[in-house]
Amino acid sequence: MPPMTLLQTIVMGLIQIVAVLIVVFIMVPLLTFAERKVIGYAQVRLGATRTASGRKGFTASMNRGMWAMGKVPVLSFFRGLPVFIADAVKLITKEDIIPAKADRAVFTLAPILSVVAAFGVFAAIAYYPGVMFYMPKNWPLIGGLPFNGAIADVNVGLLFILGLASVGVYGIVLGAWASNSKYPLLGGLRSAAQIVSYEVPLTLSLLPAVILAGTLNFKNMSVILATGQGMSPLAVIPLFIGFFVYLTCGFAETNRVPFDLPEAETELVAGFHTEYSGMKFGFFYLAEYANMIVVSCLATAFFFGGYYLLPFGLQRIIPASVPFLGQPSFLFFMAKVSLILFAFIWVRATLPRYRYDQLMEVGWKYLIPLTLVNLFIAAVIRYAF
Amino acid sequence: MEHLLESLGRNMFAIFGLLALAGALFMVASKRAVHSVLGFLFAMLCVAGCYISLDAQFLGVAQILVYAGGIVVLFLFVVMLVELTKYKERDIFQNQSRLAIVAVLAGVGAFAAVFRRAFFGAASSDALVLRPELAKGLDVARQNAQAVSRGLFADYLLPFEILSVILLVALVGAVVLAKTERV
Repeated sequence: MPPMTLLQTIVMGLIQIVAVLIVVFIMVPLLTFAERKVIGYAQVRLGATRTASGRKGFTASMNRGMWAMGKVPVLSFFRGLPVFIADAVKLITKEDIIPAKADRAVFTLAPILSVVAAFGVFAAIAYYPGVMFYMPKNWPLIGGLPFNGAIADVNVGLLFILGLASVGVYGIVLGAWASNSKYPLLGGLRSAAQIVSYEVPLTLSLLPAVILAGTLNFKNMSVILATGQGMSPLAVIPLFIGFFVYLTCGFAETNRVPFDLPEAETELVAGFHTEYSGMKFGFFYLAEYANMIVVSCLATAFFFGGYYLLPFGLQRIIPASVPFLGQPSFLFFMAKVSLILFAFIWVRATLPRYRYDQLMEVGWKYLIPLTLVNLFIAAVIRYAF
Repeated sequence: MEHLLESLGRNMFAIFGLLALAGALFMVASKRAVHSVLGFLFAMLCVAGCYISLDAQFLGVAQILVYAGGIVVLFLFVVMLVELTKYKERDIFQNQSRLAIVAVLAGVGAFAAVFRRAFFGAASSDALVLRPELAKGLDVARQNAQAVSRGLFADYLLPFEILSVILLVALVGAVVLAKTERV
């Protein structure tokens, strides 16, 4: 096959970007629905069971009939799902208010920065090692070209992801400042302190994986950590500790419960997005869920075995000749991502919020020393075994 | 089309460089401190773009991670905390333009002296490497991180350590200044 021309490269890149965006835009509303459902069941409720469609209509009559028979409408488990369409329409059509004394340019820029940082990260994530499929031969310009498992195979992929993710904090801080209002400013300051603090253990918790894999390339790291090429069996220990520290910091980075201090509604109304409405708020919302997906993708790829069935180098047990189970698969990746996303919601339904001083204490006094010790263990295992 | 894209790709460095200059200009010219920080952020991101257009991906990404993700956030934090009105900001930050012009000219002179060779003379064909045997068999374009680490920890270990001592001195100095002010 001749090397791809620049135009072909760009067109294929755009196609892959659109494909990833479609998957993310499907996952985010499903995630909001899952959140309603899981929290509902955790609190012994049913969660969203209906889409209010007036008194007429098929759904409404079914529900009424079931309730009239004295039964919980089991069939309506998924009937709350269409709510996300209403949510999206509401966010897009709602009046877009900019407070009179706000800094208009920065107020508009903040949600854009948030979304760009959150979605830009998806460029370096590999969903499958190598080529997923080839474009049909008879298509013009791009016929027969490979559709890769990653948009860009960056050789410092992990750093790229961490760097772009660290730019995301600007959205929150600038939005808070530009609102020119007390509560958003307090929320923004808290959030900046929290995210900058937790970035340190987050990065440090990923370093054992980097040391053991010996590369910064996302795809190679994921494959090496799952199949355990040249890795000692003892490598499970630092990876296991790193996984929990990473997940904890991931919760803090995405401003989720129990670290959702920037938007603690009892103290700060809604934190940094108090003054936002309409699609500008929608962007913040989208960025939060996209960040959750990113954290889940990273945790999956580095600590959960990525595209392989078993994590921590245990994939060695299954020979590559076994069909499906021994082979890397996109399905394994998505299943694990979903599992960690479920954990996000599960934790939200279970744990109360930390106090601010507790948050800082956990970050600086416990997580950072723990990650440093973990890094030391990983280095010893890499060097000695 | 192909030709256009190719020339665009070749001139990426110049494009990012000019954008970085524009960001720096915005930083100097803007009236509000937060806007200045934004201009600075933009300039930093464009400098990262310059590095990446030169195949130094590790350096570019480290630039984003350290400057855009860490240092500028702290700037923003401080500027937001100080929270000056427009009038006061102009008084404090923008009343030394003559001094600033002199300083900038001096800086330009110093840099011109450094870059004189690069602009007007024949530049050396190889990069300055103190111990070339360490860099043997290294594909720099594909193994960015390894190349940088060899440079830092083998070729230029002493300058690197001296630089870190300077940073430590700055840190201690800042602590001393902050302490004396409070008494």
